Amino acid sequence: MNLKETCAIVGVGFSEFGKKVPKSTMTLTLEGCKRAIEDAGLTKDDVDGLLLVLPSQEGERHGWVCRTCSHLGISSTFSAGLDIGGATPIAMVQMATMAINAGMCNTVVCCYGWQNSPMGIPLSMPPGLDFTAPYGDLAALPFKAQVARRHMHLFGTTSRQMGAVAVTFRRHACMNPQAQMYEKGPITIEDHQNSRMIVEPLRLLDNAPITDSGGAVVVTSAERARHLKHRPVYISGMGQAHSGEFMRPWRDPRYPEGTFEGGKAAEIAFGMAGVRHKDIDVAQFYDGFTILVIIELEAYGFCKPGEGGSFVEEGRLELGGELPSNTAGGLLSEGHLMGMGHIAEAVRQLRGECEERQVKDAEVAFVTGYGGSPHEYPISFSYSTLILTR
Amino acid sequence: MVGKFEGFEIPKPIPALTEDTKPYWEGCARHELLIQHCQDCGHFRFPPSGLCPKCMSTNTEWVAVSGKGQVYSWTIFHYVYHPAYAKDIPYNVAIVQLNEGPLLHTNIVECNNEDIYIGMPVEVIFEDVNDEISLPKFRPLSK
Ligand SMILES: [Zn+2]
Repeated sequence: MNLKETCAIVGVGFSEFGKKVPKSTMTLTLEGCKRAIEDAGLTKDDVDGLLLVLPSQEGERHGWVCRTCSHLGISSTFSAGLDIGGATPIAMVQMATMAINAGMCNTVVCCYGWQNSPMGIPLSMPPGLDFTAPYGDLAALPFKAQVARRHMHLFGTTSRQMGAVAVTFRRHACMNPQAQMYEKGPITIEDHQNSRMIVEPLRLLDNAPITDSGGAVVVTSAERARHLKHRPVYISGMGQAHSGEFMRPWRDPRYPEGTFEGGKAAEIAFGMAGVRHKDIDVAQFYDGFTILVIIELEAYGFCKPGEGGSFVEEGRLELGGELPSNTAGGLLSEGHLMGMGHIAEAVRQLRGECEERQVKDAEVAFVTGYGGSPHEYPISFSYSTLILTR
Repeated sequence: MVGKFEGFEIPKPIPALTEDTKPYWEGCARHELLIQHCQDCGHFRFPPSGLCPKCMSTNTEWVAVSGKGQVYSWTIFHYVYHPAYAKDIPYNVAIVQLNEGPLLHTNIVECNNEDIYIGMPVEVIFEDVNDEISLPKFRPLSK
Protein backbone atom coordinates (compact mmCIF):
# COMPACT_ATOMS: atom_id res chain seq x y z
CA MET A 1 0.00 0.00 0.00
CA ASN A 2 1.56 3.33 -1.05
CA LEU A 3 0.55 6.09 1.34
CA LYS A 4 1.75 8.86 -0.99
CA GLU A 5 -0.35 12.02 -0.54
CA THR A 6 -2.90 10.27 1.66
CA CYS A 7 -2.16 12.76 4.46
CA ALA A 8 -1.06 16.35 4.74
CA ILE A 9 0.49 18.78 7.18
CA VAL A 10 -2.10 21.47 7.84
CA GLY A 11 -0.70 23.40 10.79
CA VAL A 12 2.68 24.39 12.24
CA GLY A 13 3.46 26.36 15.38
CA PHE A 14 6.13 27.16 17.94
CA SER A 15 6.30 28.54 21.45
CA GLU A 16 8.36 31.58 22.24
CA PHE A 17 11.90 30.29 21.77
CA GLY A 18 15.45 31.41 22.50
CA LYS A 19 18.60 30.73 24.47
CA LYS A 20 16.80 31.04 27.82
CA VAL A 21 13.02 30.92 28.15
CA PRO A 22 11.82 30.59 31.77
CA LYS A 23 9.03 28.11 31.06
CA SER A 24 8.73 24.41 31.79
CA THR A 25 9.22 21.68 29.20
CA MET A 26 5.48 20.97 29.43
CA THR A 27 4.43 24.60 28.97
CA LEU A 28 6.70 24.99 25.96
CA THR A 29 5.13 21.82 24.53
CA LEU A 30 1.58 23.05 25.13
CA GLU A 31 2.27 26.47 23.57
CA GLY A 32 3.65 24.81 20.44
CA CYS A 33 0.55 22.60 20.21
CA LYS A 34 -1.83 25.54 20.67
CA ARG A 35 -0.18 27.57 17.90
CA ALA A 36 -0.08 24.63 15.47
CA ILE A 37 -3.77 23.84 16.06
CA GLU A 38 -4.66 27.52 15.58
CA ASP A 39 -2.54 27.70 12.41
CA ALA A 40 -4.56 24.77 11.03
CA GLY A 41 -7.78 26.62 11.76
CA LEU A 42 -8.89 23.78 14.02
CA THR A 43 -9.82 23.48 17.66
CA LYS A 44 -8.54 20.95 20.17
CA ASP A 45 -11.78 19.02 19.80
CA ASP A 46 -10.80 18.25 16.21
CA VAL A 47 -7.64 16.49 17.40
CA ASP A 48 -7.82 12.76 18.18
CA GLY A 49 -4.14 11.76 18.11
CA LEU A 50 -1.05 12.98 19.95
CA LEU A 51 2.58 12.02 19.39
CA LEU A 52 5.54 13.58 21.15
CA VAL A 53 9.30 13.45 21.50
CA LEU A 54 10.19 11.99 24.90
CA PRO A 55 12.06 14.83 26.66
CA SER A 56 15.24 13.06 27.75
CA GLN A 57 16.45 16.00 29.84
CA GLU A 58 13.46 15.34 32.13
CA GLY A 59 14.80 11.86 32.89
CA GLU A 60 12.76 8.66 32.77
CA ARG A 61 9.33 10.05 33.54
CA HIS A 62 6.63 7.70 32.38
CA GLY A 63 3.30 8.77 30.98
CA TRP A 64 4.55 12.07 29.57
CA VAL A 65 2.32 11.83 26.50
CA CYS A 66 -0.77 11.01 28.58
CA ARG A 67 -0.19 14.03 30.82
CA THR A 68 0.31 16.23 27.76
CA CYS A 69 -3.04 15.01 26.41
CA SER A 70 -4.70 15.87 29.73
CA HIS A 71 -3.11 19.31 29.87
CA LEU A 72 -4.37 20.00 26.33
CA GLY A 73 -7.84 18.69 27.20
CA ILE A 74 -7.69 16.31 24.25
CA SER A 75 -9.34 12.91 24.11
CA SER A 76 -6.97 10.90 21.96
CA THR A 77 -7.51 7.54 20.30
CA PHE A 78 -3.85 7.23 19.34
CA SER A 79 -0.84 8.41 21.37
CA ALA A 80 2.83 7.56 21.84
CA GLY A 81 6.06 9.08 23.13
CA LEU A 82 8.96 8.42 20.78
CA ASP A 83 12.72 8.69 20.99
CA ILE A 84 15.14 8.40 18.11
CA GLY A 85 16.84 11.69 19.00
CA GLY A 86 16.81 14.42 16.37
CA ALA A 87 15.22 12.01 13.89
CA THR A 88 12.03 11.89 16.01
CA PRO A 89 9.99 14.86 14.68
CA ILE A 90 9.98 13.39 11.17
CA ALA A 91 9.31 9.90 12.54
CA MET A 92 6.20 11.29 14.29
CA VAL A 93 4.82 12.68 11.03
CA GLN A 94 5.44 9.26 9.45
CA MET A 95 3.70 7.44 12.29
CA ALA A 96 0.78 9.86 12.21
CA THR A 97 0.37 9.12 8.49
CA MET A 98 0.33 5.38 9.16
CA ALA A 99 -2.11 5.67 12.07
CA ILE A 100 -4.53 7.84 10.08
CA ASN A 101 -4.44 5.36 7.20
CA ALA A 102 -4.99 2.53 9.67
CA GLY A 103 -8.19 4.25 10.78
CA MET A 104 -7.04 4.75 14.36
CA CYS A 105 -7.43 8.52 14.29
CA ASN A 106 -7.97 11.37 11.87
CA THR A 107 -6.02 14.40 13.07
CA VAL A 108 -2.71 14.05 14.92
CA VAL A 109 -0.65 16.70 16.70
CA CYS A 110 3.08 15.82 16.61
CA CYS A 111 4.90 17.89 19.21
CA TYR A 112 7.96 18.39 21.40
CA GLY A 113 9.16 20.64 24.18
CA TRP A 114 12.72 21.28 25.25
CA GLN A 115 13.85 23.21 28.34
CA ASN A 116 17.63 22.90 28.67
CA SER A 117 17.70 23.60 32.41
CA PRO A 118 14.40 22.41 33.86
CA MET A 119 13.76 23.42 37.47
CA GLY A 120 13.35 20.53 39.87
CA ILE A 121 15.41 18.10 37.80
CA PRO A 122 18.89 17.59 39.21
CA LEU A 123 21.62 17.77 36.58
CA SER A 124 23.15 14.38 36.90
CA MET A 125 25.29 12.12 34.85
CA PRO A 126 23.12 10.09 32.48
CA PRO A 127 23.72 6.36 32.89
CA GLY A 128 25.32 4.37 30.13
CA LEU A 129 28.28 6.65 29.43
CA ASP A 130 30.78 4.21 30.94
CA PHE A 131 32.87 3.91 27.80
CA THR A 132 33.06 7.65 27.04
CA ALA A 133 32.61 9.86 30.12
CA PRO A 134 35.60 8.51 32.11
CA TYR A 135 37.78 9.78 29.25
CA GLY A 136 36.24 13.26 29.45
CA ASP A 137 33.79 12.80 26.57
CA LEU A 138 30.22 13.61 27.65
CA ALA A 139 28.23 15.63 25.14
CA ALA A 140 26.73 15.45 21.67
CA LEU A 141 29.38 17.50 19.89
CA PRO A 142 32.56 15.51 20.57
CA PHE A 143 31.59 12.46 18.56
CA LYS A 144 30.88 14.71 15.57
CA ALA A 145 34.41 16.03 16.00
CA GLN A 146 35.68 12.45 15.67
CA VAL A 147 33.55 12.01 12.54
CA ALA A 148 34.79 15.33 11.13
CA ARG A 149 38.45 14.42 11.74
CA ARG A 150 37.99 11.09 9.98
CA HIS A 151 36.20 12.75 7.04
CA MET A 152 38.98 15.35 6.73
CA HIS A 153 41.60 12.58 6.79
CA LEU A 154 39.92 10.37 4.20
CA PHE A 155 38.55 12.97 1.78
CA GLY A 156 40.47 16.19 2.38
CA THR A 157 37.38 17.95 3.74
CA THR A 158 38.39 21.27 5.33
CA SER A 159 37.27 23.40 8.24
CA ARG A 160 36.54 26.20 5.73
CA GLN A 161 34.11 23.87 3.91
CA MET A 162 32.32 23.21 7.20
CA GLY A 163 32.38 26.97 7.71
CA ALA A 164 30.58 27.40 4.38
CA VAL A 165 27.62 25.50 5.86
CA ALA A 166 27.45 27.88 8.84
CA VAL A 167 27.88 31.01 6.68
CA THR A 168 25.18 29.95 4.21
CA PHE A 169 22.58 29.12 6.84
CA ARG A 170 23.31 32.33 8.78
CA ARG A 171 22.71 34.31 5.61
CA HIS A 172 19.31 32.63 5.35
CA ALA A 173 18.55 33.30 9.03
CA CYS A 174 19.13 36.99 8.37
CA MET A 175 15.98 36.85 6.21
CA ASN A 176 14.01 35.26 9.08
CA PRO A 177 13.14 37.74 11.86
CA GLN A 178 12.07 34.81 14.10
CA ALA A 179 15.56 33.26 13.99
CA GLN A 180 17.58 33.16 17.19
CA MET A 181 20.66 34.48 15.33
CA TYR A 182 18.74 37.14 13.30
CA GLU A 183 19.99 40.01 15.49
CA LYS A 184 23.58 38.76 15.31
CA GLY A 185 23.71 39.40 11.56
CA PRO A 186 25.69 37.62 8.86
CA ILE A 187 29.01 35.84 9.39
CA THR A 188 31.97 35.24 7.09
CA ILE A 189 34.30 32.27 6.64
CA GLU A 190 36.89 34.29 8.54
CA ASP A 191 34.45 34.71 11.47
CA HIS A 192 34.04 30.93 11.44
CA GLN A 193 37.80 30.34 11.29
CA ASN A 194 38.35 32.80 14.14
CA SER A 195 35.61 31.36 16.38
CA ARG A 196 37.01 29.45 19.33
CA MET A 197 37.70 25.75 19.26
CA ILE A 198 35.18 23.70 21.21
CA VAL A 199 36.36 20.19 20.45
CA GLU A 200 39.02 20.30 17.77
CA PRO A 201 38.46 20.17 14.81
CA LEU A 202 35.00 21.71 15.51
CA ARG A 203 34.64 25.40 16.40
CA LEU A 204 31.90 27.36 18.11
CA LEU A 205 30.29 28.24 14.76
CA ASP A 206 30.17 24.56 13.75
CA ASN A 207 27.69 24.07 16.58
CA ALA A 208 23.97 24.88 16.88
CA PRO A 209 23.02 27.21 19.75
CA ILE A 210 21.19 26.13 22.89
CA THR A 211 17.46 26.78 22.52
CA ASP A 212 14.52 26.45 24.90
CA SER A 213 11.49 25.81 22.72
CA GLY A 214 8.35 23.86 21.98
CA GLY A 215 6.73 23.15 18.67
CA ALA A 216 4.19 21.07 16.79
CA VAL A 217 2.78 20.17 13.42
CA VAL A 218 -0.75 18.94 12.69
CA VAL A 219 -1.23 15.98 10.33
CA THR A 220 -4.63 14.99 8.96
CA SER A 221 -6.12 13.07 6.03
CA ALA A 222 -5.72 14.61 2.56
CA GLU A 223 -9.50 14.66 2.24
CA ARG A 224 -9.95 16.75 5.36
CA ALA A 225 -6.90 18.89 4.55
CA ARG A 226 -8.55 20.18 1.39
CA HIS A 227 -11.24 21.92 3.47
CA LEU A 228 -8.94 23.70 5.92
CA LYS A 229 -7.38 27.15 6.18
CA HIS A 230 -4.12 26.69 4.27
CA ARG A 231 -3.11 25.03 1.03
CA PRO A 232 -2.38 21.41 2.10
CA VAL A 233 1.22 20.26 2.15
CA TYR A 234 1.09 16.59 1.22
CA ILE A 235 3.24 13.87 2.73
CA SER A 236 4.57 12.22 -0.44
CA GLY A 237 7.53 10.19 0.71
CA MET A 238 8.99 9.01 3.98
CA GLY A 239 11.90 6.83 5.04
CA GLN A 240 14.13 5.82 7.93
CA ALA A 241 17.45 4.04 8.46
CA HIS A 242 19.13 3.00 11.70
CA SER A 243 22.61 1.57 12.16
CA GLY A 244 25.93 1.84 13.91
CA GLU A 245 28.19 1.77 10.89
CA PHE A 246 30.82 4.25 12.08
CA MET A 247 32.05 1.86 14.74
CA ARG A 248 31.44 -1.57 13.29
CA PRO A 249 33.90 -3.47 11.16
CA TRP A 250 31.64 -4.37 8.24
CA ARG A 251 29.88 -1.99 5.87
CA ASP A 252 27.34 -1.63 3.11
CA PRO A 253 29.75 -1.63 0.13
CA ARG A 254 27.93 1.33 -1.46
CA TYR A 255 29.14 3.61 1.33
CA PRO A 256 32.90 3.78 1.68
CA GLU A 257 34.48 3.82 5.11
CA GLY A 258 34.22 7.27 6.70
CA THR A 259 30.81 8.01 5.19
CA PHE A 260 27.40 7.20 6.62
CA GLU A 261 24.87 4.61 5.56
CA GLY A 262 21.73 6.71 5.92
CA GLY A 263 21.02 6.33 2.21
CA LYS A 264 18.16 3.89 2.63
CA ALA A 265 16.14 6.56 4.41
CA ALA A 266 16.23 8.66 1.24
CA GLU A 267 15.89 5.76 -1.21
CA ILE A 268 12.65 4.63 0.42
CA ALA A 269 11.25 8.18 0.49
CA PHE A 270 12.21 8.97 -3.11
CA GLY A 271 10.72 5.66 -4.23
CA MET A 272 7.45 6.29 -2.41
CA ALA A 273 7.11 9.84 -3.74
CA GLY A 274 8.21 8.92 -7.26
CA VAL A 275 10.59 11.87 -7.45
CA ARG A 276 14.33 12.20 -8.08
CA HIS A 277 17.04 14.38 -6.63
CA LYS A 278 16.75 16.95 -9.41
CA ASP A 279 13.04 17.40 -8.58
CA ILE A 280 13.81 18.78 -5.10
CA ASP A 281 13.14 22.54 -5.05
CA VAL A 282 14.08 23.19 -1.42
CA ALA A 283 15.76 21.06 1.28
CA GLN A 284 16.05 21.20 5.07
CA PHE A 285 18.99 19.13 6.34
CA TYR A 286 19.35 18.28 10.03
CA ASP A 287 22.29 20.49 10.99
CA GLY A 288 23.06 20.24 14.69
CA PHE A 289 26.69 20.43 13.53
CA THR A 290 28.07 21.62 10.19
CA ILE A 291 29.75 18.30 9.38
CA LEU A 292 26.36 16.56 9.48
CA VAL A 293 25.15 18.47 6.42
CA ILE A 294 28.23 17.36 4.46
CA ILE A 295 27.78 13.68 5.32
CA GLU A 296 24.01 13.82 4.71
CA LEU A 297 24.52 15.26 1.21
CA GLU A 298 26.74 12.24 0.53
CA ALA A 299 24.58 9.63 2.25
CA TYR A 300 21.38 10.79 0.53
CA GLY A 301 22.95 10.84 -2.93
CA PHE A 302 23.07 14.59 -3.67
CA CYS A 303 26.78 14.12 -4.34
CA LYS A 304 29.34 11.32 -4.27
CA PRO A 305 30.89 10.14 -0.98
CA GLY A 306 33.69 12.50 -0.05
CA GLU A 307 32.38 15.38 -2.20
CA GLY A 308 30.05 16.97 0.35
CA GLY A 309 32.57 19.63 1.37
CA SER A 310 33.13 21.00 -2.12
CA PHE A 311 29.39 20.72 -2.87
CA VAL A 312 28.69 23.19 -0.06
CA GLU A 313 31.69 25.41 -0.81
CA GLU A 314 30.45 25.93 -4.37
CA GLY A 315 27.37 27.69 -3.00
CA ARG A 316 24.82 25.10 -4.09
CA LEU A 317 22.90 25.27 -0.78
CA GLU A 318 22.34 29.01 -0.99
CA LEU A 319 19.04 30.62 -1.90
CA GLY A 320 19.37 30.94 -5.67
CA GLY A 321 21.66 27.88 -5.79
CA GLU A 322 20.72 24.50 -7.20
CA LEU A 323 19.59 23.07 -3.83
CA PRO A 324 18.50 25.94 -1.57
CA SER A 325 18.68 24.50 1.93
CA ASN A 326 17.86 25.40 5.53
CA THR A 327 16.16 28.53 4.28
CA ALA A 328 15.04 29.63 7.78
CA GLY A 329 18.61 29.28 9.11
CA GLY A 330 18.47 25.67 10.30
CA LEU A 331 19.42 24.46 13.76
CA LEU A 332 22.69 26.37 13.32
CA SER A 333 21.07 29.80 13.03
CA GLU A 334 17.27 29.64 13.37
CA GLY A 335 17.72 27.83 16.68
CA HIS A 336 17.77 24.26 17.95
CA LEU A 337 14.12 23.44 17.27
CA MET A 338 14.75 19.67 17.41
CA GLY A 339 14.21 19.27 13.66
CA MET A 340 10.56 20.34 13.97
CA GLY A 341 11.70 23.70 12.62
CA HIS A 342 12.88 21.92 9.47
CA ILE A 343 9.43 20.42 8.83
CA ALA A 344 7.76 23.77 9.54
CA GLU A 345 10.04 25.68 7.15
CA ALA A 346 9.39 23.15 4.37
CA VAL A 347 5.64 23.67 4.94
CA ARG A 348 6.01 27.47 4.85
CA GLN A 349 8.04 27.26 1.63
CA LEU A 350 5.45 25.04 -0.07
CA ARG A 351 2.65 27.37 1.09
CA GLY A 352 4.61 30.29 -0.39
CA GLU A 353 4.75 32.22 2.92
CA CYS A 354 8.49 32.92 3.07
CA GLU A 355 8.65 36.42 1.54
CA GLU A 356 12.29 37.48 1.14
CA ARG A 357 13.61 33.94 1.51
CA GLN A 358 10.90 32.27 -0.60
CA VAL A 359 12.14 29.72 -3.16
CA LYS A 360 10.17 30.64 -6.27
CA ASP A 361 7.48 28.11 -7.22
CA ALA A 362 8.69 25.57 -4.64
CA GLU A 363 6.69 22.38 -5.18
CA VAL A 364 8.82 19.56 -3.73
CA ALA A 365 10.69 19.72 -0.41
CA PHE A 366 13.14 17.24 1.14
CA VAL A 367 13.51 17.24 4.94
CA THR A 368 15.88 15.20 7.09
CA GLY A 369 16.25 14.27 10.74
CA TYR A 370 19.28 12.79 12.41
CA GLY A 371 19.76 11.28 15.83
CA GLY A 372 20.26 8.02 17.59
CA SER A 373 22.80 7.30 20.30
CA PRO A 374 25.82 9.52 19.69
CA HIS A 375 27.62 9.03 23.01
CA GLU A 376 26.34 5.85 24.57
CA TYR A 377 27.90 2.62 23.35
CA PRO A 378 27.25 1.04 20.94
CA ILE A 379 27.32 4.39 19.14
CA SER A 380 24.41 4.27 16.70
CA PHE A 381 22.64 6.52 14.23
CA SER A 382 19.04 7.17 13.21
CA TYR A 383 18.10 8.90 9.98
CA SER A 384 14.62 9.99 8.93
CA THR A 385 13.41 11.74 5.80
CA LEU A 386 10.25 13.33 4.42
CA ILE A 387 9.35 14.43 0.93
CA LEU A 388 6.60 17.04 1.01
CA THR A 389 4.68 18.36 -2.00
CA ARG A 390 1.99 20.93 -2.59
CA MET B 1 28.03 22.67 32.96
CA VAL B 2 30.82 25.22 33.27
CA GLY B 3 30.88 26.99 36.59
CA LYS B 4 32.66 27.67 39.81
CA PHE B 5 32.82 24.81 42.21
CA GLU B 6 35.00 26.34 44.87
CA GLY B 7 35.38 24.57 48.19
CA PHE B 8 34.57 21.11 47.01
CA GLU B 9 35.82 18.87 44.27
CA ILE B 10 33.60 17.11 41.80
CA PRO B 11 35.12 13.75 40.92
CA LYS B 12 35.51 12.48 37.38
CA PRO B 13 32.79 10.02 36.43
CA ILE B 14 33.77 6.38 36.81
CA PRO B 15 32.14 3.38 35.15
CA ALA B 16 29.40 1.48 36.94
CA LEU B 17 29.71 -2.28 36.61
CA THR B 18 26.69 -3.96 35.02
CA GLU B 19 25.76 -7.58 34.31
CA ASP B 20 27.22 -7.06 30.82
CA THR B 21 30.34 -5.07 31.60
CA LYS B 22 31.58 -6.62 34.87
CA PRO B 23 34.08 -9.05 33.27
CA TYR B 24 35.52 -6.24 31.14
CA TRP B 25 36.17 -3.93 34.09
CA GLU B 26 37.40 -6.78 36.28
CA GLY B 27 39.91 -7.59 33.54
CA CYS B 28 40.99 -3.95 33.41
CA ALA B 29 41.50 -3.98 37.20
CA ARG B 30 43.98 -6.86 36.65
CA HIS B 31 45.50 -4.85 33.77
CA GLU B 32 44.19 -7.27 31.18
CA LEU B 33 42.18 -6.07 28.16
CA LEU B 34 39.42 -8.65 27.79
CA ILE B 35 37.18 -8.56 24.72
CA GLN B 36 34.26 -10.84 23.91
CA HIS B 37 35.05 -13.32 21.15
CA CYS B 38 32.29 -15.17 19.28
CA GLN B 39 32.96 -18.90 19.40
CA ASP B 40 30.90 -19.48 16.28
CA CYS B 41 32.04 -16.83 13.80
CA GLY B 42 35.19 -15.50 15.44
CA HIS B 43 33.99 -11.88 15.60
CA PHE B 44 35.46 -9.73 18.40
CA ARG B 45 32.79 -7.37 19.74
CA PHE B 46 32.72 -4.21 21.85
CA PRO B 47 30.85 -2.99 23.87
CA PRO B 48 30.06 -6.14 25.86
CA SER B 49 26.67 -7.65 25.07
CA GLY B 50 24.64 -10.83 25.23
CA LEU B 51 25.03 -11.89 21.62
CA CYS B 52 27.17 -11.52 18.52
CA PRO B 53 25.91 -8.74 16.19
CA LYS B 54 27.42 -10.51 13.22
CA CYS B 55 25.87 -14.00 13.60
CA MET B 56 23.60 -13.69 16.70
CA SER B 57 25.41 -16.53 18.45
CA THR B 58 25.38 -16.50 22.24
CA ASN B 59 28.49 -18.70 22.47
CA THR B 60 30.99 -16.20 23.78
CA GLU B 61 34.35 -16.30 25.47
CA TRP B 62 36.27 -13.44 27.02
CA VAL B 63 39.78 -13.38 25.64
CA ALA B 64 42.78 -11.22 26.50
CA VAL B 65 43.66 -9.33 23.32
CA SER B 66 47.01 -7.91 22.25
CA GLY B 67 46.20 -4.40 23.44
CA LYS B 68 47.74 -3.06 20.24
CA GLY B 69 45.97 -1.01 17.64
CA GLN B 70 45.86 2.26 15.71
CA VAL B 71 44.35 5.70 16.23
CA TYR B 72 41.12 5.72 14.18
CA SER B 73 40.15 9.33 14.94
CA TRP B 74 41.01 11.91 17.61
CA THR B 75 39.87 15.23 19.04
CA ILE B 76 41.14 17.89 21.42
CA PHE B 77 38.76 19.25 24.05
CA HIS B 78 38.97 23.01 24.62
CA TYR B 79 35.56 23.31 26.27
CA VAL B 80 34.66 22.27 29.81
CA TYR B 81 31.70 19.88 29.58
CA HIS B 82 32.25 18.65 33.13
CA PRO B 83 34.01 20.58 35.91
CA ALA B 84 36.18 17.60 36.85
CA TYR B 85 38.00 17.93 33.53
CA ALA B 86 38.56 21.70 33.69
CA LYS B 87 42.14 21.38 34.82
CA ASP B 88 42.96 18.92 32.01
CA ILE B 89 42.08 21.28 29.17
CA PRO B 90 43.22 20.96 26.43
CA TYR B 91 43.00 17.16 26.56
CA ASN B 92 42.61 14.55 23.85
CA VAL B 93 39.91 11.94 23.35
CA ALA B 94 40.68 9.40 20.65
CA ILE B 95 39.00 6.38 19.11
CA VAL B 96 41.41 3.47 18.86
CA GLN B 97 40.82 0.46 16.65
CA LEU B 98 42.31 -2.67 18.19
CA ASN B 99 44.17 -5.03 15.89
CA GLU B 100 41.37 -7.53 16.58
CA GLY B 101 38.79 -5.09 15.11
CA PRO B 102 36.79 -3.32 17.84
CA LEU B 103 36.87 0.46 18.22
CA LEU B 104 36.81 2.18 21.60
CA HIS B 105 37.04 5.67 23.09
CA THR B 106 40.16 6.42 25.09
CA ASN B 107 42.85 8.99 25.88
CA ILE B 108 46.29 8.90 24.26
CA VAL B 109 48.92 9.28 26.99
CA GLU B 110 52.69 9.74 27.02
CA CYS B 111 52.29 11.82 23.86
CA ASN B 112 51.80 15.52 23.04
CA ASN B 113 48.36 16.29 21.63
CA GLU B 114 49.88 17.77 18.48
CA ASP B 115 51.80 14.54 17.78
CA ILE B 116 48.67 12.36 17.52
CA TYR B 117 47.68 11.27 14.01
CA ILE B 118 45.23 8.89 12.37
CA GLY B 119 46.91 5.55 11.89
CA MET B 120 49.36 6.07 14.77
CA PRO B 121 50.31 2.65 16.26
CA VAL B 122 49.43 2.47 19.96
CA GLU B 123 49.40 0.00 22.84
CA VAL B 124 47.25 -0.23 25.94
CA ILE B 125 48.33 0.83 29.42
CA PHE B 126 46.08 0.90 32.51
CA GLU B 127 45.47 3.87 34.79
CA ASP B 128 44.29 2.83 38.24
CA VAL B 129 41.37 5.00 39.45
CA ASN B 130 40.62 3.00 42.62
CA ASP B 131 40.79 -0.62 43.81
CA GLU B 132 38.01 -1.73 41.44
CA ILE B 133 38.47 0.47 38.38
CA SER B 134 41.39 0.86 36.02
CA LEU B 135 40.90 2.69 32.74
CA PRO B 136 42.51 1.35 29.59
CA LYS B 137 44.39 4.16 27.86
CA PHE B 138 46.82 4.02 24.98
CA ARG B 139 50.35 5.26 24.37
CA PRO B 140 52.51 5.33 21.25
CA LEU B 141 53.73 1.82 20.49
CA SER B 142 57.30 1.37 21.65
CA LYS B 143 59.35 -0.15 18.90
ZN1 LIG C 1 29.35 -14.45 15.72
